[in-house]
Amino acid sequence: MIFALIIAPIVAGVLLVLVPRSAEAFAKWFGVALATIVFIIVALEPHASDESLRWLSRPFVANFHVGLGGIGYWIVLLLALSTACALAVTRVPRQRDFVAQMLVLLGAMTGLFVARDLLLFALFWDLMLIPVFLTLIAWSPTRSTATAWRYLVYNLVGGLALLLATAAYGVVQGTTDVLAANPSMLAPISPAWAFWIFLGFAFAFLIKTPVWPLHTWMPLTYADLPAPMVAVVSAVQSKAGLYGFIVVTSVLLPGPMHGAAPAMFVLGLIALVYGALAALVQDDAKRVVAYSSLSHLGLIVLAIFSFNPIALGGAVVYIVAHGLFSAGLFIVLGEVERREDTRLLSRLGGLGARNPKLAGGLTILALATLGLPGLCGFAGEILILTGVYRAGFVWPAVVALIPIIIAAAYMLRVLQGLMNGPEVADVPQRRDMTPLEMLALAPLVIAIVLLGVNPGPVAASSRALTSAATALANVQTQSQSGIAYCKQALLDQRRNAMERAQRYLASLPRDVNGRPIVPTAQPATIGSVQEPSCLRYPDVMAAAVKATAK
Amino acid sequence: MSGLLLAVWLLPFAGALAIWALGPQLRRGAGWIGSATVLLAFVLTLVQWGAATASGGAHRALVTWIPGFTLGLLLDPLSLLWSLIITGVGGLILVYSIGYMWSDRAIARFFAYMNFFVFAMLTLVLSDNLVGLLVGWGLVGLASYFLIGFWFDRPSAVEAARKAFVINVVGDVGIMFAVFALYKATGSITFAGIFSQRDALSGGLLFMICGALFVGCAAKSAQVPLQTWLPDAMEGPTPVSALIHAATMVTAGVYLIARFAPLWNASPPARELVGVVGAVTALLGAILGIAQWDIKRILAYSTMSQIGYMIMGVGIGAYQAGVLHFFTHAFFKAGLFLTAGLLIHELHDEQDVRKMGGLSRRMPFAFYAMLAGTLAIIGFPGFSGYFSKDAVVYAMLEHGQPALYAVGALTAAITAYYMFRMLFLTFFGPYRGELEDAELGILPDRRAHRDEHMPPVHPAELTRPAVPVHGHAPAWLMNLPVAILALFAVIAGYVAIGGATSPWWRFFGGLFGAAPAVAASTVAFSESLSTLLVSALVAIGIIVAFVRYGSPAAQLASVERIRAESLGRPAIFAHAFYFDDAIDALVVRPARSVGTFIARFVDPHVLDGGVRDVAWGAGALGVIFRALQTGLVRSYALTILVGTACFIAYFALIGSAR
Repeated sequence: MIFALIIAPIVAGVLLVLVPRSAEAFAKWFGVALATIVFIIVALEPHASDESLRWLSRPFVANFHVGLGGIGYWIVLLLALSTACALAVTRVPRQRDFVAQMLVLLGAMTGLFVARDLLLFALFWDLMLIPVFLTLIAWSPTRSTATAWRYLVYNLVGGLALLLATAAYGVVQGTTDVLAANPSMLAPISPAWAFWIFLGFAFAFLIKTPVWPLHTWMPLTYADLPAPMVAVVSAVQSKAGLYGFIVVTSVLLPGPMHGAAPAMFVLGLIALVYGALAALVQDDAKRVVAYSSLSHLGLIVLAIFSFNPIALGGAVVYIVAHGLFSAGLFIVLGEVERREDTRLLSRLGGLGARNPKLAGGLTILALATLGLPGLCGFAGEILILTGVYRAGFVWPAVVALIPIIIAAAYMLRVLQGLMNGPEVADVPQRRDMTPLEMLALAPLVIAIVLLGVNPGPVAASSRALTSAATALANVQTQSQSGIAYCKQALLDQRRNAMERAQRYLASLPRDVNGRPIVPTAQPATIGSVQEPSCLRYPDVMAAAVKATAK
Repeated sequence: MSGLLLAVWLLPFAGALAIWALGPQLRRGAGWIGSATVLLAFVLTLVQWGAATASGGAHRALVTWIPGFTLGLLLDPLSLLWSLIITGVGGLILVYSIGYMWSDRAIARFFAYMNFFVFAMLTLVLSDNLVGLLVGWGLVGLASYFLIGFWFDRPSAVEAARKAFVINVVGDVGIMFAVFALYKATGSITFAGIFSQRDALSGGLLFMICGALFVGCAAKSAQVPLQTWLPDAMEGPTPVSALIHAATMVTAGVYLIARFAPLWNASPPARELVGVVGAVTALLGAILGIAQWDIKRILAYSTMSQIGYMIMGVGIGAYQAGVLHFFTHAFFKAGLFLTAGLLIHELHDEQDVRKMGGLSRRMPFAFYAMLAGTLAIIGFPGFSGYFSKDAVVYAMLEHGQPALYAVGALTAAITAYYMFRMLFLTFFGPYRGELEDAELGILPDRRAHRDEHMPPVHPAELTRPAVPVHGHAPAWLMNLPVAILALFAVIAGYVAIGGATSPWWRFFGGLFGAAPAVAASTVAFSESLSTLLVSALVAIGIIVAFVRYGSPAAQLASVERIRAESLGRPAIFAHAFYFDDAIDALVVRPARSVGTFIARFVDPHVLDGGVRDVAWGAGALGVIFRALQTGLVRSYALTILVGTACFIAYFALIGSAR
């Protein structure tokens, strides 16, 4: 079933080429229906069991292993919902082809968030770039491909780093089918390898999110993409990196993750303030939202790297919340642009008088964005900052409060600039939102309110991870930094090996001198005793033999 | 009982939803739905009086976000009092609004917002935890934003709404900080949980938490230096000013401090800080009240000043006195605003007192209502404000703050002066409405936006026959609420007769705990002497106002005096002590400049440029390597030779050294 969720949209997207170009309405409603079906299936199966197919066995084991659950469950729901809503208001030239791109994007991103195998994750990571790239090429309002190439090059560089890191991890660990595994069952990675692998992952994730200073592809991309696609990209694709940090690196590479925390805190805080200040002065409404995304995603970076369960719960809430309101905002801004042929705040004004429904929709979305208590943005913010503060990061929590004030200023600037004040004379006056358009926005608005009133279930989805992270955090408390942690882990490993070696030796037959007879060949099992990893450490082995003899 | 509590909380919200859903079809019916739901909530709150005053109050759990973040409702004496004022005074103001907004095309929108405000305010006061309170805190700010910007085609209203919202977010952020700090220190966000762990809080941390909470109070309750939004908020319709910006929302800061009394009791520096800020605000508001011409701005500054008193009272630890001033203020200030609304209505949206005058003959009812409110606010003996203000001012002495006592007493005199100035200017002397602006020294730019007063129109509203600009609301609709409020403005103070044994003191029981006070023997003089002193100061204020504006001679010369005062108003008053300019210069403009610098320079040139340089570097490397790939075997041979030589040299010189 989960495989079908990935494959069906991609195949449907490709097959859409078979319907006539003129069947625009059909293509659109077909897309809406498909996304809605995905949403319903996922919503009904929160506990779907994992599915797995063999893929590689050499040089490391990789499987087509997919599963729904935990954080991915909520993100896939968000993805299907935002795709359905965005498609419902789609009205672009060459609509059939556009819908096809949207469907491929839906399938690829579903694959990314259900992948339980790192290699599969990396595959979908690159796959989801393609529809966005093609859309930028074909539907760019500026007829320039510069933005498209910038998007692709940035993200492919990240994707390459991700692929290399995945391959390295696979070689070291022996398998990449690890995202559903119990972290304690995995062999620890040596610090040197862990560092480089983490660097690869982190580079990809930072570009994709994006985090300052790797964000410069983002405002351009968001400004150029057609509204329905930017809604989905900003809602879901920008979460891929954060999701990666949460489910990949913090579970698989806790040592370097902790080592990187100070740097990430700095980057996250800079992104928070920088994005907010930049959003304050943009004239293009879409770019205001783009920079506000930069700011808000910085907050999630803080949450992830505080390693606090409350903050992590808040991060998941905020991931979903940001998806909901940014998708909604881009949809509404698309509506505004379609009516007025411009997005420039300096040229717009007074739309609210003739478009009260549009104004109402934008109001709720803007309020959720600026963190109005009672809506979803606030629920995420307060949980994140409570957790960050509780983890002992007092000053970051205090600094992170300032962008909340700036957010109020820039979102009201957009809201009032578009909707309030005297009507601008040269703007064509068109009709308000149709019932259909309202219907497209309604699920987002309802979800924003529900999530704001009770973020409990979403926050709880991180609990399984949190328990793993807490266990690791307990280990962390013994060490000052990630590098120290790695050294400690290595020492622990050797100590364990020592103990195991002694146990192993005790089980062996003795010679006349009382020395254990170590078999020269190293069979997988000797009797009931497992082949001990201590054999990998000849020096440990020798020491153990010596100790046993005494 | 807890079902009733839920009903009280949600009834106004249901009203708002119904009005919003049925929309403009309702027209004035919206007003009746709105008023009915709020008044019903008032009755249901009264029904729960017994449960609320019982030990522990009435409680209902709502949701749990994460373990430790549990949200619920609590009705105890403090929230009971606030709920009764919100729904009671709120209900009266809503009935009045039906008349006031009678011919406004957007009447349904108005009542949807008003009901939403009542719901939000109830959320604030009924929450049993700080996060729920913060939700209410934000939502009342939102309702205030909507209602200030109700006439959203006026640029000045839009500007004022944004300013109010952003300043209030500053306050929200302060409370957010308190949430983190309290949760970390006590592991709870419910009031009961926090107070049971309050031993975990002390010294610097406690002061920081109190300070953060007070940032919220200062923003919401217009305390210095976050007061600048309140006068501008008068852009909203007058009933809004009465309900939100006088009786209820702006007193939320008083509620918050009273609610956190156990923390305040434990933190002397916090008490000192809040007492001083309250006193400064009281004085500043009163001074600025002297120099205003717009009747609503006079009342706005007086609100700021009176809230200064309340904050002073609860801040210093005299919770009963501070809350009593909230109680009486709700009646007399709402009454004053609604009476001002009667004048504005009668004079076709004229708010400038310079264009009024002589209205006591034309509107005797309004005159008596205004007189009652004025006597109450200045603390005239026997009126409600007398009991509450005296209690607050005297409490300064009891808590060892003679300087604050002096400020409080002085402010009482100034209050008497500016309120009677307003009274004389509006109701006595000649009617100046027909005079030219220039004769009165009114500068043209100040009034520009008033001339195009036309509320925005919903397309559906356009299709109906136009309503006459001033319809015929039955007079009682507006007069009855004013009369009731005026009555309470006179009598509300009598609940506190008898000091600590009065019904008022007993109502709260031990809710606030006890703030340390100085020994009675060290207080400079007795309460009755203090009352005499303050009353004498009030009398001086009235006399000065009478001499300048009320005496027959002054009434005759009023036009000349007004012109001279208008033209000679010092710039420091016109700029309200330059707070706006300071905030603009220190915060707004720097932020915008940095933003521009980032958006114009850093982002496109430094960061993006940096990445481009990397790309260019890669390209340049390619060029170099391309140059090496000549395809000539002898150049390759040379390269190999040089490389080998380097290797040999390396191992010979350095490798051997190891």
